[in-house]
Amino acid sequence: MKGVKSRGGLRITAILVTMVVGVVAIILCCCILLFLNRYRSAIVQNARTSSAQAVSQVSNTVSNYLRDMNQAMGLVEQSMLESADSRDELLGAFLKFRPDVVAVTSYSPNGALLDCWSPGREPRETIYQNLSFDLNKARAKGAPYMTAPHVETIFESYYPWVVTMTAPLAPGGEAAWVSLDLSFSSISSYINNVSIGQRGYCFLMDSDGNIVYHPQQQLLYSGLKSENTAALAALKDDVYVDDTVIYCVTSVEGSDWRVVGVSYVDELVNRNVQDMIRLTCVLAVVVLAAALLASWLLSRLLGRPLRGLASAMESFEADADHFSYHPVGGTREVQELSDSFGHMVVQIQQLMSTVREEEVNLRKTELKALQAQINPHFLYNTLDSIAWMCEQGRNADAVKMVHALARLFRISISKGHELIPIAKEIEHAESYLQIQKYRYKNQFTYDFQVDPECLDYYCNKITLQPIIENAINHGLDLMVDEGHIQVTVGQDGDDIVFCVQDNGVGMSEDQIVSIMRRGPKDRTGIGIKNVNDRLKIYFGKEYGLHITSELDVGTSVEIRMPKIREGSYETK
Amino acid sequence: MKRNRTAALCCAALLLLGLSSCGTDTASSTQHVVTLVSKSTQTEFWLSVFAGAEAAATEYNVKLNIVGPETEEDYKTQNQMVADAVAQGTEALVFSAIDYENNADAVDEAAGKGVKIVAIDSNVDSSAVSTYIGTDNYAAGQMAARAALERVKGRLKVGIINYDISSANGQERQRGAEDTFRESGRAEVTAVINTLAEAGQAQKDTEALLNEHPEIDVLLAFNEPTSVGAAQAVEVLGLSEQVFLVGFDSNVLTIDGLQEGSVDALVVQNPYAMGYLGVESAYKLLSGQGGGLEQTVDTSTRIVDRSNLFSIDSQKALFAFEQRED
Repeated sequence: MKGVKSRGGLRITAILVTMVVGVVAIILCCCILLFLNRYRSAIVQNARTSSAQAVSQVSNTVSNYLRDMNQAMGLVEQSMLESADSRDELLGAFLKFRPDVVAVTSYSPNGALLDCWSPGREPRETIYQNLSFDLNKARAKGAPYMTAPHVETIFESYYPWVVTMTAPLAPGGEAAWVSLDLSFSSISSYINNVSIGQRGYCFLMDSDGNIVYHPQQQLLYSGLKSENTAALAALKDDVYVDDTVIYCVTSVEGSDWRVVGVSYVDELVNRNVQDMIRLTCVLAVVVLAAALLASWLLSRLLGRPLRGLASAMESFEADADHFSYHPVGGTREVQELSDSFGHMVVQIQQLMSTVREEEVNLRKTELKALQAQINPHFLYNTLDSIAWMCEQGRNADAVKMVHALARLFRISISKGHELIPIAKEIEHAESYLQIQKYRYKNQFTYDFQVDPECLDYYCNKITLQPIIENAINHGLDLMVDEGHIQVTVGQDGDDIVFCVQDNGVGMSEDQIVSIMRRGPKDRTGIGIKNVNDRLKIYFGKEYGLHITSELDVGTSVEIRMPKIREGSYETK
Repeated sequence: MKRNRTAALCCAALLLLGLSSCGTDTASSTQHVVTLVSKSTQTEFWLSVFAGAEAAATEYNVKLNIVGPETEEDYKTQNQMVADAVAQGTEALVFSAIDYENNADAVDEAAGKGVKIVAIDSNVDSSAVSTYIGTDNYAAGQMAARAALERVKGRLKVGIINYDISSANGQERQRGAEDTFRESGRAEVTAVINTLAEAGQAQKDTEALLNEHPEIDVLLAFNEPTSVGAAQAVEVLGLSEQVFLVGFDSNVLTIDGLQEGSVDALVVQNPYAMGYLGVESAYKLLSGQGGGLEQTVDTSTRIVDRSNLFSIDSQKALFAFEQRED
């Protein structure tokens, strides 16, 4: 992956992951919001219901208490009609039965305490203030009535909270009113123990909003806590939810008392909702993580083989010859793509090698055609020389020349083989030199130094002749003194090295470059460049010509080729 | 492959994080433990404090332990109780000091272990106290003195029956009363006695005081047991008419006395509120809402005499609703 150029555009991984996670997140958000909204309203409804239930239970209990009290009052009233003895007996039994009755008192028409029945207690001799009976109120009412809870004040060192019911008695009797003091502690402790949620509570108030009983009245009267009873008194029986508090107001049947349940939104609703929010957040995180993982895996499934394919293409682009394709796995689409690419790689490589082979073949054909050409000037000049020798009667020389020429041609053709033994090549070069020496009237000498071990190796035909031709034409032709051409053939490891040295005028760097570049067009014959090209085509880039030259000292051309035995290269 | 593994690890870590956050949620709902160390467990005053404290404990879901020594002089036991409570892992102390100074070290030590301190009723000499909830004792002393000054004409000879001299609130009340008498210019504190906060001993000491100083016409008693003792002494000596007794707090005996004449006025504190607010403050401190707490919270006091003895507010102040006995 390192070779990949950074490009614009997003990776498939990024797109896929972003899209999947984004879509999931949006859906999740919507669902969570919707769900929490529903959940909250359900919880609020639940809180309202539980609050209403708690309050209606309290209301029932209080109303039972009051009904019970009415019944007890009925009994008391009945017993008051009896004679004094049976009355005492009846009330004694009644008190035994009803331990929650604190006292039964009877009053004369002018409000004086006549009698008191109480389990094991006697009233004070002088009662400072009797909260159980109010003559003015009793007169005003004229019917049974009930007080708010108050402290029983007629006993010494005993101050329980009671509710008093006072009823007028039938006129004629000694007593005009009877009061029943019923302990309030059962109700107060019941109300104290009512809890709506953890902190919610109930209290009793009358229809005007005066608090009848509140579990925390010590906090209320000292101003450390307050209840907005005036506002609550104006409300109908129902459940009211505001920002922080749920109020539930219910009237107590058979009285003007009302039960108010107070509970806290924070505790009943918000805490649940917060728990749920936390839970849903955790779930959302899990779902998002799962989505992330899934999309990431998916994108890997898609993206990785594609990237593999891309990098394969890139390395194919960089080096098509030595590229070998390993198919990329993945989804079926990717596999198909991969297979197609594999086929394409094979085809392209086949095409490339075909093209290259054809090119080489073309070159070889071209060179063969050139080899077949005989410089007509050379032939003309040589024949001219032979004719001239014959005219002069130098038959022996003429015969030598004709032989040399014949050898030259025979070797040149060599039955159409490209590679010939080095011995033959040397023979060819020697024939050529012989002819030229005659033509140049012994202006130069030549000498062969051949390692005999090399003779059996093969080489391209007509390798030395163009070099020697060049040495004669460029090196020796312009010389005044006698020139010398030295041809050596030796081994260098696995290579055969030919060397043609002359002591001619030498060549400048520019001349060497131009000779190596010159094509066969401006001159007839093969030319040095072609020799070089041919060696490289046949044996590779490391083989070929190397020219070193020094002006006025001479030129040395080194030809390097591998050791070749017969037949090993002919097929190429 | 390596990337694959790291990704898998990341996901696992995320899941664990989610699960662990669930776990901490459930862990945070455990109860706080609060210990209330009172001066006594017998008097009605303290029973009312406990009722308030328990109400708050239920409301705020606090585990409340209540302990107190046998007598209201035993600061050593209180110190031991503080140490025990800390050892048992209480997180906050609602504390009423018998001895302003001698309880300080124990409280400081507890605070040093990270326990939150709320003082109620009677403060302690420690900077670790986060809030003091109780009566403004100086003002309560003034109130008691003023009750006598307003209801008794002429020159007053005042006897003061106080409890343990090292208790901060008693001394504050006494100072408030003495200052008020001095300012009035027509009252003189004849004698001050420090007796035990126990009715029998208080009665004996009061009788001795009255016998020694028959000129005393106003008696001030600064807490519930001394008030009961003083009331009994006045009644026994038949001095209900002659001596104007101002007591503290409500007890059936002093209320009887109020009706019968041996007691003439009561300064009624709000012990329920002390207990309730004490535990509430402790809860707030523990649940990190302690920032809004006042340095001192004055629970109200009121004067109850014969004229308003059975007004509905006085009833509520004087007579706690008894719990159902079942």
